[in-house]
Amino acid sequence: MLSWSSQQSETEIDLAALARGSGDVGLPHAKELLRFATTAARLDDDLTQMNEARQALSAAAGEAMMIDAAAVAANFHMMTRLADGTGARFTPARLEASASTIAIMGTADMVSKR
Amino acid sequence: MDVPDSDFGSDGWGFESLRTHSKSCRANAGADPGCEPNARFHASDRWDRFRYRAFMDVRADLLDVQRSAWDALTRPGTWWTGPQRAELAATALAAMTSACPLPPWTAPSTIAGFLADDLIAPAAAHDAIYRVAAHAATLTETWYEGMRVALTDLAYVELVAIACNVAAVVAFRRAAGFEPWELSPPFDGEPTRTVPPDLVDAEMNWVRVTAPADEKAAVVQAFTSVPAELDRLWTLAAAQYIPNLEMVDPLWTRGTLSRPQTELVAARISQLRECFY
Repeated sequence: MLSWSSQQSETEIDLAALARGSGDVGLPHAKELLRFATTAARLDDDLTQMNEARQALSAAAGEAMMIDAAAVAANFHMMTRLADGTGARFTPARLEASASTIAIMGTADMVSKR
Repeated sequence: MDVPDSDFGSDGWGFESLRTHSKSCRANAGADPGCEPNARFHASDRWDRFRYRAFMDVRADLLDVQRSAWDALTRPGTWWTGPQRAELAATALAAMTSACPLPPWTAPSTIAGFLADDLIAPAAAHDAIYRVAAHAATLTETWYEGMRVALTDLAYVELVAIACNVAAVVAFRRAAGFEPWELSPPFDGEPTRTVPPDLVDAEMNWVRVTAPADEKAAVVQAFTSVPAELDRLWTLAAAQYIPNLEMVDPLWTRGTLSRPQTELVAARISQLRECFY
């Protein structure tokens, strides 16, 4: 969806930077969003990095954007469990269409690939 | 506006964590050395309280749907009673918030004292929701088949939905800096045991779905066998992510995140959770 939305909105992004979790993805506030999402991927009670990432994103982009980013993170904590819990698969056509993204993101070897 | 439950009042926002991290661990359960499995989990024990210094505005639609989903965790569902759902939600919460969860190959019920002796839901259900909550990316079809036999497929789907709802609320409140909610006492009542009349096997999911199968994306059809959970899921998704009708619009925004920025966060979370889908 990131590749699609960036192409459709004529925004050039660097998926490799996203995959690495560092570097210039090519979107406004991408550095802060990437750091925020990276720390939000955990749900344990070590909150130091989460607090710092939240403050950095709020300072750069505003509190409302931080709240919406937290909501998106929440949604994908939900959807990843839905997908993996129910054995969700892509169609062969969708897999083929996503081949370059899969290669760049390095996700082909994930256990959850079905 | 979300009003934190605990102390607040100073200027500026942010909070001071009062938690004393406890990472004393026990290796005998097969977890990483230095980590202590949760012997019996109580939702209120997982996080200490935070001191907030200010209010933060949260969209009312987002707060409402999350509150509704959280409240539903302790009410009778389609296949599980309120006390069973509350118990399973607590196990999910323990699994996903543990810094050192049991490894995927270790079921909680095999560890003496890990689960309570007086469980209401079957031990297999606790094992299943613990794995979905902590290690969803490691699930296999063979493992699912075992759970389908032990629990029935529709009860399993509802169990996955419980984990999803817990994850959504916990993740949002942690990321946004709000105090975690506690599970309310469970409500009595019987599950509805509603079975859609048109269930069929699917190619794109392990679980059965309503006909016609595989005409929509796998995640869209995944919960169709338990309509109450399907409705809850997509109501949450609309508020947390994008309303369904707007999905095809690459320029859609709430005025904060652009669509590519939204997908950046989504992709990073999915990647780190090792979710291929």
